[in-house]
Amino acid sequence: MNRLWIDERYCKGCLICLDVCPTKALKPSQEINAKGYILPTSNDMKRCTGCGLCELMCPDFAIAIEKAEG
Amino acid sequence: MPKKARRSEAATISPEPHFLKPGKYYLQGNQACIEGALMAGCCVYAGYPITPAVETMEYASKRFPQVGGRFIQMEDEIASACALIGSSWGGVKAMTATSGPGFSLMQEAISIAIMSETPMVIIDIQRAGPGQGYITASQQDIMQARWGHHGDGPIIALAPSSVQEMFDLTIEAFNLSERWRTPVLVMVEETVGHMWESLIVPSRDEIEVIERKKPQDLGIMPQDYLPWGHDIVAPMANWGEGYNVNFVALVHLEDGNISRYSPQANYHCVERLQNKIEGNVNQIARIETKFLEGCKHIIVCYGAVSRTAMEAIIDAREMSGLELGYVRLVTLWPFPEEKLREIIGDVDTIFVPEMNLGMMKHPITEALRDRCRKVVSIPSLGILHSPEYILSKIYEEIS
Amino acid sequence: MKRHPMLKYLKEEGPMGPRMPLIFCPGCGSGQVLNYTLHAVDEIIGEDKIRKEQFLFISGIGCSGRITSHYLNFDSAWTIHGRALAVATGALLANPAFKIIVFTGDGDTGSIGGNHFIHACRRNIDVTILCLNNGLYGMTGGQHAPTTPIGTITTTTPYRNREAAFDLCKLAEIAGASYVARWTTAHPRQVIKSIMKGIRKKGTAFIEILSQCPVHERMLPVALLKRFKESTIRISKTEESRHGKTPIGEFCDVDRKEWNESYQEIIDQFLAVNGKAHEQIVD
Repeated sequence: MNRLWIDERYCKGCLICLDVCPTKALKPSQEINAKGYILPTSNDMKRCTGCGLCELMCPDFAIAIEKAEG
Repeated sequence: MPKKARRSEAATISPEPHFLKPGKYYLQGNQACIEGALMAGCCVYAGYPITPAVETMEYASKRFPQVGGRFIQMEDEIASACALIGSSWGGVKAMTATSGPGFSLMQEAISIAIMSETPMVIIDIQRAGPGQGYITASQQDIMQARWGHHGDGPIIALAPSSVQEMFDLTIEAFNLSERWRTPVLVMVEETVGHMWESLIVPSRDEIEVIERKKPQDLGIMPQDYLPWGHDIVAPMANWGEGYNVNFVALVHLEDGNISRYSPQANYHCVERLQNKIEGNVNQIARIETKFLEGCKHIIVCYGAVSRTAMEAIIDAREMSGLELGYVRLVTLWPFPEEKLREIIGDVDTIFVPEMNLGMMKHPITEALRDRCRKVVSIPSLGILHSPEYILSKIYEEIS
Repeated sequence: MKRHPMLKYLKEEGPMGPRMPLIFCPGCGSGQVLNYTLHAVDEIIGEDKIRKEQFLFISGIGCSGRITSHYLNFDSAWTIHGRALAVATGALLANPAFKIIVFTGDGDTGSIGGNHFIHACRRNIDVTILCLNNGLYGMTGGQHAPTTPIGTITTTTPYRNREAAFDLCKLAEIAGASYVARWTTAHPRQVIKSIMKGIRKKGTAFIEILSQCPVHERMLPVALLKRFKESTIRISKTEESRHGKTPIGEFCDVDRKEWNESYQEIIDQFLAVNGKAHEQIVD
């Protein structure tokens, strides 16, 4: 299963990653970060195909997908 | 990150024999400065035509490609001055020449160059103002040279008085700008710009050419490099050398970091710039003196006016026995206050003949207020003072 | 912990403290364009024989200008409003080997730097211009720009904008740019492809990227991205079938001699007559 990494210091909670994810693998988190932004979190990472669109369209270089081995 | 510090692939000037051979030439002031610039290793000329500086530009368009340099006629003076910033950070020496209205347009880039500590040379062949004024000679831009750009920031400005000095002082301007990492202005009058005179060109080995200090030479590696640090004049890494330099003209810390703004950082940044030039005024500024011994009255002048002032002084000595002292400011800015106070003791009157309504009179008065009874301005607009005119004004004052 | 792959090209820390996060407002298109650009540059460095040191990023002032304000782990210049192309021209005069990418805004390109823009295209200098068009002045607080549509309310058009907007792509094409394209931030792969084409193009490449300003348009970033998709149409569609939508795609792709290539011919001519040059001039 692919793994989701969010850099809390850089994310500004624009949630573009949620919107562009073709399989809806992400969802908004219930928690807010130190700056008051709602961060994205995993909805169901089993759905993640590793297409990288969330990484590509993140304005803040805050999201990364670690692909499962094999 | 490169293991070894790399030099850029910037254009370089090809060696002789494309340069003038040593000897005597008959040239216009507007052209002599280009020959001086080439001798100093200038590779780029970016300009916009304006009378009375067009000859400089036309001559540059012929000469620069001959030595492997590049010439470009930009869309306006703003672009010209900005292109110099790009060229300078691209690793070469760059210049332009302009006149009054064009000089006004360049002020933005001059201010940016001061803040970013960019070496470049701008020649202002001054025409009369304000407005379009007229295309005749003036010294009306010298206060703009010092104070015209936005924000506090020191400047170096030189004032040549002959075709020979157009050549010599342009070389000196490049040396100063590389040595102190700052824009340098050469403030010429149309008189000297359009003057035809003989020019003695020495061989290239006799000409001292100063290059900017490089971090590569000091063993500073990219990861430790501070583009505005290490020394009062920071070593300058150019683009393309692997130092990942970020050119910035906002208030910055020594590494170019702008994210920690504070009034202290602002003060530190601007004060350092000021100190770099004004604190080294005695190293930078030059004055020339003659006949000072025992004189009650002296003339302080600069640029083309110094030629007729000198003639007036000689005439006065020969004809009426009036002994006048001669002081010429070779460097206008930074203003050599200390040097002036060293050489001028107690005198009666200081005359300041200028082709404006008395601009340099102000810093001169400020510096020598307690050393003389009076500072008298001798203005002239649109035309160079004749020696007779200077003398008539002096006699009027002292009789 | 895995980190964003493009962070390798950014300076997160400097000798005097942290430089990130980016200054942009949440959901700003500027960060996205930077992301796309770094992807394109990454591919170019991998595929072509271009070294990282050859890249030079230049910007003016405004939101787009802040892209190079101190984050990039490349040589970069954060210059003056509108003047980025003039500085880029100077840099190319000094060193024609530079691969220059200019970030500029619509105000930068169309207004204060309009002169520099058309003349850069006319000279066909070897730069890739990425114009982030958000239709307003974001940094100064949402004033109207030369690209603001007629009828828009902005902070300086409280009674609606009455001036017609520039089509920057048409302007670039007519001025002589070698490559012209328009995309939006909602078209990441197309933007990357165009940027790579632009970098490889010898001459001026102008790529306009419609970019969202969620703050001044008072809309969510995702809603703006959706609007970009809906309000644009491929340039290949005929005028009649566009239904007033903004055309996107490649507007022009031609080969024309680049400024430095052309000037080098003059220099070479003089190097060939080695030694005689000065005698022709000063006699």
